[in-house]
Amino acid sequence: MRTRHSDEVDRGTSAHGRRSNDPPTLILLSLAGGAKHGHALLKDVEEFAGVKLGPGALYGAITRLEERGLIKALESDDRRRPYQITAAGSRALADYVAQMRGLVEVGQARLKVAGMPQPGMA
Amino acid sequence: MTRTTRRTGNNAPEGMKGGVSDPRLRWYPVSWRVRYGDELAALLDDEYGGHLPTLVRLSLVTGGLRQRARQSGLTGDVASAADRVRAGALVVLAAWSAFVIAGASLAKFSEHFDESLPHRTGAHRVPDLAFTMVQTVAGVASVLVVAGALLAVPAFVRFLRAGGWPSVRGHFLRALVCTSLTAAATVVLLFWAHHLTPHQRNSGLHWYGAMFLIWAALIAITFTFWTAAAVASARRVELPTAILTAEAALAASVAAAMVVMVCATAVWWGAMAKDAPTFLMASPGGAAGSPWDIWLVSTVALMAVAMVTAAAGVVREVRVWAQMRAA
Repeated sequence: MRTRHSDEVDRGTSAHGRRSNDPPTLILLSLAGGAKHGHALLKDVEEFAGVKLGPGALYGAITRLEERGLIKALESDDRRRPYQITAAGSRALADYVAQMRGLVEVGQARLKVAGMPQPGMA
Repeated sequence: MTRTTRRTGNNAPEGMKGGVSDPRLRWYPVSWRVRYGDELAALLDDEYGGHLPTLVRLSLVTGGLRQRARQSGLTGDVASAADRVRAGALVVLAAWSAFVIAGASLAKFSEHFDESLPHRTGAHRVPDLAFTMVQTVAGVASVLVVAGALLAVPAFVRFLRAGGWPSVRGHFLRALVCTSLTAAATVVLLFWAHHLTPHQRNSGLHWYGAMFLIWAALIAITFTFWTAAAVASARRVELPTAILTAEAALAASVAAAMVVMVCATAVWWGAMAKDAPTFLMASPGGAAGSPWDIWLVSTVALMAVAMVTAAAGVVREVRVWAQMRAA
């Protein structure tokens, strides 16, 4: 019997339509660690995810996230305007992390049954 | 009422930030640049300095085009429902223009096809019927497109009276200049053709053939420019809901007509390959022993692409209607 999780794995997306490496998810993850402007976001994402976002992809995602109220721009006198995750953004990210955790648990359990090495094990 | 927020970079109000007029961001719509242009320009300065790598330029092009598509209602849900329905209808209009160009190519290709068919009983029936179907449905679809244009005329007049002309002037001037060039080329071509034999006109004289191709390209470009002018105008006018609904229905009908025409063309092609293969092999793009004439393949491929594009426009319309009804 198929579960919601297995369907999501097939689609490569979570219930919120995000993949683990898509720009909106990476931006939310980055902003969860504190407010950042575009360039700092770019560097942070590259550091923790190993993903080099293009400027078009970065600002496309920022636009969508801001329109949906998941992040907000902070006041700044500088051209480099910082962004902050909102309460709605934190909830969406928490939902997403919970979904991912469920997938990880399923994956670990099945790998254990199959006698295969699990993530994080040498 | 007209929209006044869509301006070109050259018309940007005073006091706008530097990112608005930054040439690196020219692919983005002005309203987006007003909001994000300055900070994106700062990011580009910080990360890449004066030289943008090719991949970064590509990222800006695709990012800008995506924002334009979103703002026009072609993708996403940021635009109003009316704008999204309108965008779907305009996709069908643009697809129809490409389809007409392909149709003109088919008309030229199929000239005198009837004479190549054998005289036995029934050999003419299928190709004649299929081709008549293509012509009839093309006529009906053209009437529908004209009806759609006429429905939008009152709104366009209101738009012009409200001072909207400067925002579409460039599109119309470009189309008019190209129309003048095409008209001049037509006169030259007709004058030249008048002094040639039928053999010279039909592939016998290479210079005439080249001139004919240039003329055909000019017609296609002119048609494209007029379509661009129509799309630019239609995006800016305020259409009452009833008119927008009618436009959406007309667009769906035109898309359906394109499906019928592609099917009828395929039937005609198959019938010609079966009953008059020499007709396909003898054309300039033909090959001995093969029905896959390159000219015909390109033409039908363009028709098919236009049909699929139009279908995508209709799907967009239907989805928005479904969302509106659900809401």
